Amino acid sequence: MTTDLVIGMAGSGGDGIVSAGESLLTAAALEGYHGVLTKSFGPQIRGGESSFRLRVCTKKVLNPGGGLDIAVALNWEDFLKFGSELPVSGRTTVIYDAATGVAPDGIPVKDALPAEVLPVPIEQMARESGGGDRVKNTVVLGLMSGWVGLGREQVVAGIRKRLARKGAEVVERAEKAFAAGLAFAEAHPLRVDRTMAPPAESGAKFVVDGNDLCAAAAIVAGCEFFGGYPITPSSEIMHFLGREIWRYGGTMLQAEDEIAGIGAVVGASFAGKKAMTATSGPGMSLKTEMLGLASIAELPLVCVNVQRGGPSTGIPTKGEQSDLLQAAFSAHGDVIRPVLAAISAEDMFAVTVEAFNIAEHYQTPVIVLSDQEVGQRKETADPIDASAVRTVDRLRPSAEDLNPYVRFRFTESGISPISHPGMPGGNYLASGIEHTENGSPTAGGEMHSRMNEKRLRKFEPLKQRADLFLRAGNPNARIGLISWGSTAGAVIEAFELAAADGLDVKLLVPRLLYPVADGIFQDFLASVERGLIVEQNHQAQLYRLLRMFVDVPGGVETLAKSGSNPITPSEIVERLRRLAAAPKAETAR
Amino acid sequence: MSVLTAQPVNQFVAKDYKSDLKPIWCPGCGDFGVVQAIYRALANIGRAPHEIAFVSGIGCSSRIPGYTTAYGFNSVHGRALPIAQGIKLANPDLLVLCAGGDGDGFSIGGGHVAHVVRRNIDLTYIVMDNQIYGLTKGQLSPTSRRGLITASSALGSMEGPVNPLMYVLGYGASFVAQGTPADMAGLASIIEEAIRFPGFAFVNVQSPCVTYGQEDQLLKAQKAMMQPLASLNHDPANRLAALDLAQAYGEKLYTGVFYRNPDPPPTFEALVRLRQEQQRPLAKSRADVLNVFRLKTP
Repeated sequence: MTTDLVIGMAGSGGDGIVSAGESLLTAAALEGYHGVLTKSFGPQIRGGESSFRLRVCTKKVLNPGGGLDIAVALNWEDFLKFGSELPVSGRTTVIYDAATGVAPDGIPVKDALPAEVLPVPIEQMARESGGGDRVKNTVVLGLMSGWVGLGREQVVAGIRKRLARKGAEVVERAEKAFAAGLAFAEAHPLRVDRTMAPPAESGAKFVVDGNDLCAAAAIVAGCEFFGGYPITPSSEIMHFLGREIWRYGGTMLQAEDEIAGIGAVVGASFAGKKAMTATSGPGMSLKTEMLGLASIAELPLVCVNVQRGGPSTGIPTKGEQSDLLQAAFSAHGDVIRPVLAAISAEDMFAVTVEAFNIAEHYQTPVIVLSDQEVGQRKETADPIDASAVRTVDRLRPSAEDLNPYVRFRFTESGISPISHPGMPGGNYLASGIEHTENGSPTAGGEMHSRMNEKRLRKFEPLKQRADLFLRAGNPNARIGLISWGSTAGAVIEAFELAAADGLDVKLLVPRLLYPVADGIFQDFLASVERGLIVEQNHQAQLYRLLRMFVDVPGGVETLAKSGSNPITPSEIVERLRRLAAAPKAETAR
Repeated sequence: MSVLTAQPVNQFVAKDYKSDLKPIWCPGCGDFGVVQAIYRALANIGRAPHEIAFVSGIGCSSRIPGYTTAYGFNSVHGRALPIAQGIKLANPDLLVLCAGGDGDGFSIGGGHVAHVVRRNIDLTYIVMDNQIYGLTKGQLSPTSRRGLITASSALGSMEGPVNPLMYVLGYGASFVAQGTPADMAGLASIIEEAIRFPGFAFVNVQSPCVTYGQEDQLLKAQKAMMQPLASLNHDPANRLAALDLAQAYGEKLYTGVFYRNPDPPPTFEALVRLRQEQQRPLAKSRADVLNVFRLKTP
């Protein structure tokens, strides 16, 4: 019995790899297991190599795990293309199609002697079932059901549902293929038992991905307008809203370019509606001028950046956390735009709702940093209770405020009541040009200073929002661990392992990245002598950002890797152990 | 209440649309005439200023929303059209005006024109075409004539001009007109007709620049050369005839409506409303959107 299992599988584009992974995740979620499914593809539009890795766990997991427990190769050429994404180690059971003609002691896996290597006549069983190559994935589902024990009935029912429209014959062949795989597994028990222990809690989970959940969260938050332009890996947000937003009285506009997408969002917000756009790196670069306009005109909007490898086109299909400094600083002029990041697909719900709330309350654009991993991986989530969601609307002018209306009135909080076209008495001029309190253009230095001060001061309370930070561990621990975004999933797990191992370590995961909540970070770092900041980018961008605003102790190190290079809990734990074992730090830096 | 069904209640007069802000334009600038024509057109239509959103980009002419009492938005260079479309889609009941210069509309923002046309969003786009960049002190514009010597073309321009009329007609716009502040009454009535048109309407205004413009483009010259299309017995329902006449841009100054589609396609926002009404019964509350993540036991 096992409580935590990672299955990786690779094959050619037409092999139905991804749908096999989704079938297994669905079966796991229905039984109450937690799971994370990541998919990976070659650059081809169709065909080419594809793979999934599925982690199934009896308790909550937030990352796709490290080495594989079970590796399935339909052919070796495609499997090897995924390299470190599908790492085979001494604890891996390797299953491969006997049709590849490779002997078990000759499999092309370097640097590892797998726990077990088993050729399986996958192609032959598929052929004998009558379904040919198309049902090789179904044979594998049968094998996994047999060896792992994930709800057979549910997998079979899933197959029936998926194939029903293709006719009874197709369904029958698939069922035969599944049964053949299952029979093979039962006749050939694995040397290392891979059967899943019962889940910690029963009851079906949601299956979500970050992009769809972001779009759904926008609707729950009250979003009535989306404008955007197709770009990988964020387009699913637009697809989802293009299906769903109408029934909630909203509108989705696929604009002619990234600038027009956010331009229409600026317009919709000016017209009084909650509005959002979504993009990825190159699109973010194009939207920068409009973000500045929204900042000076003090218009709420949410801009989601599902990060990918950069710069420029970079690696569109792989995640990276390398747009943090862009999010914080890609603006001309003195400006603050709040930047939030979600740590998982499930977390995109709360973070997106919060982004709308902050945008509306502070009358500002808010940037949400997701990444390809958070955006496109599928994972289980606890059912969401939308009735518990708190939503915030912008401060509208009272009758008194309208007599006469002064749009950018200096207030104690820096937040001025905002009207919208259609509201009698609220007429004003919104502008990208510097303006006086009533919106008239000005080039005066004194007014510019005062307006800058108003627009920056209003964010002070945001920096006190401790609820936007995840903290764990002994508050006086000498070792501090900090991470953000999807990497935090691995870091949280590493923290738990290290704490269970007796290391005196504490954890801080900011969901608010900018403005830097210097007080919260400083408080966390007060007891820290050594630390580790973990992130998926080359320059250690969060570390560098913190050094601008916070007194970071000299003993704090970074673990920063470019995208597409997994950061695993075990390597984080290893770094923490070394930090703990090092001699006491000098006080001088 | 749509623009079309709005009854002219004569509740408003031109000065109700004039703000207290003093224009930064040079004395004699054609844009003074354009803003006057807009006041008159709006008074005839009779929508309250708070029901009007007036969007512009950047340039001398883009200061224009601030000189009206409407909700104004003086945005960024070249992006008035996307912002105006967002406003109209967010609240189709508003009367949405959009204005800017030839650089704003046909150079930096030129890519947006095709798309507002194909969506047929009901807004009126007024371009104050002066064939020069005035705000940045006299550089070539997309409508400058070939050979023109400007601050950025000291030895003469090597490019031919864009023809704004052909440009917008070519994309299939349903309403294309041209006017000049040399004929204020005519311009006001063209703008009024454009606003009343149910769909995207484009008005090119030959608005001379007194500081950097050419002698033959000033109001006096325009008065002498302008030729109302009505006097040519032009049928504005005839698109090919409109295209033919539009070719004379830069040589002749025709005023009036080149093309008015007698059977315009539905507006984007009308289709949006229809879709919203069709889809609305499928959801009871916003929380319903989460149902797509709920697994059904097979």
